[in-house]
Amino acid sequence: MTLRPFEERYAAALADDDVRTGLTAFQRGWRDSRDAAIDALEQQEGRSFDELREELAAIKDRVVADWSYYLDEFEEKAVAAGAEVTRVATPGEANAHITNVVKAAGADLVVKGKSMVSEEIGLNAHLEANGITPVETDLGEWILQLAHETPSHLVMPAIHKRKERIAALLEQVLGREYAPDDIPTMVKAARTQLRDRFLASGVGLSGANALIAEGGSIMLVENEGNNRMSVALPPIHVVTAGIEKLVPTYADAMKQVRLLGRSATAQPITVYTNFVTGPRPGQRQHILLLDNGRTAMADDPDVAAALRCIRCGACANVCPPYGIVGGHAFGHVYTGAIGLVNTAFHHGMEAAAGPQSLCVSCGACAQVCPVDIPLPVQIMEVRRKVVESEVAVPAGRITALALGAFANRRLFGLGMRVTGVVSTPFRRDGITALPRLLADRGPVHTATGWRTPPAVPARPARDTLKPGKLDEPPRLAAQPLAGRSVSLFLQCLSDRLAPQIPIAAARLLRAAGARVTVPREQHCCGLPAYDSGEHDTARAMVRQTMAVLADADDVVTPASSCLAMLGHDAPHLLRGDVDEVERAQQLAGRTYDLIGYLTQGPGRLPAGSLDDGDRTPVTVHRFCQASNTLGRQDVVERFLRDVAGVPVVPLPEASECCGFGGSTSLRNPEVARGILDRKLGCVDRTDASILITDNPGCILHLRGGIHASGQQVRVLHLAEYLAGRLDGAAVDGDRGPRS
Amino acid sequence: MTSTATGAAGSSTRERFRSGVEAAASTYLEQPDWSAVVAYVAARTDTVALAPSLAADKPDLADALEAAGCAIVVPDQDDPAASVADVAVAIVQGELAIAETGSVLVSEHLLGDRVVTMLCRQLVQVVPADRLVDRLEEVADWLASRGGQPGFASLMTGPSRTADIERSLTIGVQGPDEVEVIVLTATTDELVEGRP
Ligand code: SF4
Repeated sequence: MTLRPFEERYAAALADDDVRTGLTAFQRGWRDSRDAAIDALEQQEGRSFDELREELAAIKDRVVADWSYYLDEFEEKAVAAGAEVTRVATPGEANAHITNVVKAAGADLVVKGKSMVSEEIGLNAHLEANGITPVETDLGEWILQLAHETPSHLVMPAIHKRKERIAALLEQVLGREYAPDDIPTMVKAARTQLRDRFLASGVGLSGANALIAEGGSIMLVENEGNNRMSVALPPIHVVTAGIEKLVPTYADAMKQVRLLGRSATAQPITVYTNFVTGPRPGQRQHILLLDNGRTAMADDPDVAAALRCIRCGACANVCPPYGIVGGHAFGHVYTGAIGLVNTAFHHGMEAAAGPQSLCVSCGACAQVCPVDIPLPVQIMEVRRKVVESEVAVPAGRITALALGAFANRRLFGLGMRVTGVVSTPFRRDGITALPRLLADRGPVHTATGWRTPPAVPARPARDTLKPGKLDEPPRLAAQPLAGRSVSLFLQCLSDRLAPQIPIAAARLLRAAGARVTVPREQHCCGLPAYDSGEHDTARAMVRQTMAVLADADDVVTPASSCLAMLGHDAPHLLRGDVDEVERAQQLAGRTYDLIGYLTQGPGRLPAGSLDDGDRTPVTVHRFCQASNTLGRQDVVERFLRDVAGVPVVPLPEASECCGFGGSTSLRNPEVARGILDRKLGCVDRTDASILITDNPGCILHLRGGIHASGQQVRVLHLAEYLAGRLDGAAVDGDRGPRS
Repeated sequence: MTSTATGAAGSSTRERFRSGVEAAASTYLEQPDWSAVVAYVAARTDTVALAPSLAADKPDLADALEAAGCAIVVPDQDDPAASVADVAVAIVQGELAIAETGSVLVSEHLLGDRVVTMLCRQLVQVVPADRLVDRLEEVADWLASRGGQPGFASLMTGPSRTADIERSLTIGVQGPDEVEVIVLTATTDELVEGRP
């Protein structure tokens, strides 16, 4: 492949402001129209998106489970219709075969409909090296070919290019002026330029959106009409398709149609859905079925489900880091979340390594994928494979080293205590004050100039929470937790960097009647290690946490990320041992994050019980994984309205990641910053002066960003906010809300 | 086509088809029969391309159009693209009309059939009301029951379009930029069925 190294692509994407501005607008527009299209589909079908996508996923899985049967059926039917079918294992074989077909026909011009497989195998470069001219006929691909670029999106290949750049490009190539706002004239230029090519070309090349085994047919969906012209007009038609494109029947293909157009471009159906069965009279048709790592994917349970992919691009359209750097950095030939998975199999570990740290693990992709691929889990598995393969990833190695110390509870604790004592003079409001001077220059600025780093407190939460050290909080009139024992899981990050959060949580739980204990040996749920692809370390930490909490009654954590880890990722990590999985699930069954405990768990507080009369409006950032992994929507907002009596201003894009994203904010601070800016822009639009959320990672990230930006917004953990209302709320006895 | 599909084509199906067609930026029209189509087309243009398969299926259609004052081009075998190069309007017949999506299924086995839908700027798609079906599954049945024939069949939904430049919708890229869908409402079609 001719792609530049990842670091270069990443730097180029960051240097180009157009990428970020253009993609943010694109993502917002797409989200609205896609959601409306899916709502309408649910209405039309009387079934949920989840039901519809499970049905399509089952169809695709059925093919992979019985692959050779369907391949044989397809081949037999296609051959009967007059096609020649060739199965190829590698890009080299595919390129050689296509070149032979073109040369044998004496052709030197090939028109191409959009085909990701031809990008995957690097066909254009190969053809050019053999004296054959490939002409891309999809408008976006045509523009990119003129610009000597590769697609940055599966469906909208040139989405990273602004119209001004395209106008300048066309002027340079075609020698006349184009007004950037006059898009129809630019489109017409493509029509004029390409029309003769379709008619003069000896070979037309296409991909396939589906290979229909029942009829030996190829399904091609498109809007422009260039694909059908490439297929239909030249005397030779060459199809390149991955073998995962098979579906058993035409009826199955229609189920794909229903989800593909809506997921790709929010259309109920594209303008053309072409079913091509064999060549037309006077034409020859060659169909190449490419493996290139696909059977290896099928044999690997960690990623097999990725073969369901119908290349709709939705996973990129909701991906926050994709919105900052675009597909040239986020992915390889295949872009977006799916690119972080399948690149390892189609293009190797080295190609897959670079973009791994860009994923913020927000889980948004899995929500929109029309074939229900568990992309976040698969990305974690590929990340592990990358780390284990030991291809050179400098940043990855640094994280691995840091984790070595982190995994050791005593060593980590000691290091943090020393840092905490030394940095005491620089600390104000929980974030570092003095280092800002340093932070305004050089590489330190890239890492911290936009986000004041948290200061390390002198004392971790676990010290303050020792028995007898805390004052008795006021007791709420409602005592849902009276007589109940709660083990507080502090979360490693809060314990050391934001102790006020678990301390507030403890106060609140005690005010509701609980007896709160803090198991001493607790350390970390394993999420940071999991996030870094260090699964052995992560497993060790999960096991340690399970052992520490084995005898606890209810476990409550102020960190929703730990809940997602213990409930979703731990059973996955321990899947080799059924007993361990069962124990992990038992623990998850009695573990709550604070909002879960107060709304669905035993700690359910009655309406108004934390109303102290304060009506200052707040807004709520929803922790992305709480929405995407735990399935929460507006739980915190409703709770605040009902139980605290406070007006909540809806935050635009409330469930979008804030950019903290685990290791991303350490390894790719520019991306974390870009995502944070988008979030803070949304906060600004609410006019609220208090921002509430319930995951400590988000809080440190948001607080640092707001401090550095000078915005006048207080960022509070739900526990801090609620504990702050205890004194004025209805307490045991008679006092009502203050007015 | 199955008989249930035909029977299901009630007025509400037609209404849904109509709104699908219009949502896809095509024009929806009803005419009683082919004779009315001839009059409608002849009033608007003086040259018309006919898909060869349509000309073969309705041999008197070309005569009727010529009698109404229209020059007729049926793409020839040798260089079909060149023969329609200067023709703006083309007529094809739809195999099915799909209410769910507002699409018309057109089969284009011959090169001559393909050039008229691909190269002419205005495409008139004519489909008898009894070819109206509710859902895409009925298209699947239709394709499956023909064992791979015709070799090229396309669901067409609106004029050619792109949004590749800054996601801005532009109509008319490589294919036609105007599509009219005409549903024939009469139960018998004189022009065809009146002949032996
Ligand atoms: S992984 Fe899912 S969302 Fe992403 S391109 Fe494939 S089908 Fe679409």
